[in-house]
Amino acid sequence: MRVPHGKQWAGTFGLLLPWLITFAMFWLYPLAHSAFLSFHDYNPLSGAMDFVGGLHFLRLFSDADFLQALKNTFVFVVGTVPVTTILALALALGVNRKLPLRGLFRAGFFVPTLTATVVVALLFVHLYTQGGYLHTLARMLGLAEADRGLLLDERAALLSVMAMDIWVSAGYYMLLFLAGLQQIPRDLYDQADLCGASAWQKLRLVTLPLLKPMTLYVVLINTIKSFQIFTEIFVMTQGGPVGATSTVVYFVYREGFEKFRMGYASAAAYVLFFVILAVSIIQARLFGFFQRAER
Amino acid sequence: MSTGMRGFTAKSSAPRQAADYLIWAGLFVVLVLMVAPFVWMFVVALAGDAAWTPSADDWLPGGWSFANFSELFTAQPFGMYFINSALVAAVVTGANIVLCFLVGYAFARREFPLKKTAYFSVLAVLMVPAYVLIIPLFILINALGWYDTYLALIVPFAVNPLGIVLVRQYVSSLPIDLEHAAVLDGAGALRIVFGIIMPLCRPVLAVLAIQIFWLNWNSFLFPFILTDQNVRTLPVALAMFRGYQTVDWPHLFAAASLATIPVVVLFLFFQRQIISGLTAGAVKG
Repeated sequence: MRVPHGKQWAGTFGLLLPWLITFAMFWLYPLAHSAFLSFHDYNPLSGAMDFVGGLHFLRLFSDADFLQALKNTFVFVVGTVPVTTILALALALGVNRKLPLRGLFRAGFFVPTLTATVVVALLFVHLYTQGGYLHTLARMLGLAEADRGLLLDERAALLSVMAMDIWVSAGYYMLLFLAGLQQIPRDLYDQADLCGASAWQKLRLVTLPLLKPMTLYVVLINTIKSFQIFTEIFVMTQGGPVGATSTVVYFVYREGFEKFRMGYASAAAYVLFFVILAVSIIQARLFGFFQRAER
Repeated sequence: MSTGMRGFTAKSSAPRQAADYLIWAGLFVVLVLMVAPFVWMFVVALAGDAAWTPSADDWLPGGWSFANFSELFTAQPFGMYFINSALVAAVVTGANIVLCFLVGYAFARREFPLKKTAYFSVLAVLMVPAYVLIIPLFILINALGWYDTYLALIVPFAVNPLGIVLVRQYVSSLPIDLEHAAVLDGAGALRIVFGIIMPLCRPVLAVLAIQIFWLNWNSFLFPFILTDQNVRTLPVALAMFRGYQTVDWPHLFAAASLATIPVVVLFLFFQRQIISGLTAGAVKG
């Protein structure tokens, strides 16, 4: 059956116009401009623009600041994503049971995600600062120096930001896992009950395999998001102490907006973009591989 | 909480019930850990002694007072930051409701050349990490003369690609007979789009509106990059508030509470919409 007005091209063009303008002006053009800048030296203050070819990309990989930022970013991703995923899954499995106050739990776990990142970061600055609750706790456990807060401690700073990230994001990924759990047909569990399956067998043979697509999604988006960590770093540590918490996006910000080397910063931004793409593809392949191997 | 606690599976076996109690206790501990920092934020915000800082022998601020809140508006321009945040979030939300609806409708119902390519542009953009845009968008906004104006925080964010995807999905699921019947009644294209389809899309537009408002209210990166004193929003003001050496915690946390209360209220009223907005990409994708 034909769609009414389906071929009124002028009208259709009018409907699409907001997106065409937004896409061209605020996505395509900036992305192209940034790619162009990455092959140039560009200082926004003087307006000076010089072609340098691929020099920025070569220089990045001998720039100790960039390499440290890249390393910190990888440590952050590798350290937080698995822990967050497991914690979120555990919370989702717990909340999915018919327990009293489950609505309250679900809502409460979500509060950190609901709040602005800046607010959460400031809360943790307070808790991590010298004499703050978490600093005091860490000292009692022998994990922190008495004379400085956790964020000023070179060995503890990055770990502290990572711990906060896990605390913030667990509730969000719990919601995604819950959505996945609710899509699993009930009768699969009924059948498992008929076969006399234990709770553990039901988890291992029904729940986890059927949650695999959602798990891939959770790992993928958390990885992509974690590679881009910036706000927490800016608010909590400014990359310090001595670069211990500098990340790639923080490096991009500092090179671009504090040192006004926007060409160099664009090159760094694109390097991270390609790292994210490559890691996402590898993750999707790995999950696909494991899924096939199991069948 | 012995045998009688309502809600625990009554007819299950004893070990199963014991497991439920253990899980419940575990969840409760996590709940306390997740919520306590926010309760603490309000306690400090209401501190009677505005000069209070945390230390081993002075771990609780003494007294209660709303002075820290009122001083945000009298001694500092937090009223303006609040208005900036609210205004930007509201206008961006309004723009997204109308514009994402129009574009999403076109993708669901109209035929046009290069339709697949055009829709691919929507999906491709969803993959672009936002930070890649900070430098070129900053340069563009400056070139347009929009730096530190409302336009910088509104125009680039007026059509969210996720909104287009949501609306397209929703409109595609509506029966097309409605539109045919309307044509037989002599309704024009505009009347169909605005008079018939848009009201039917209310559920999905509500999800979109709440999601967009929430994202923009909390947003830091772009307001930080694209504005200065004039249109400073609450999150940016909060990040700037913190001096490096000494921190005025009671006032800072009063300001942080000011930024938090609206989203908590929003969540209390629209929990269902917020959750379906957040999981929309996951369940279908």
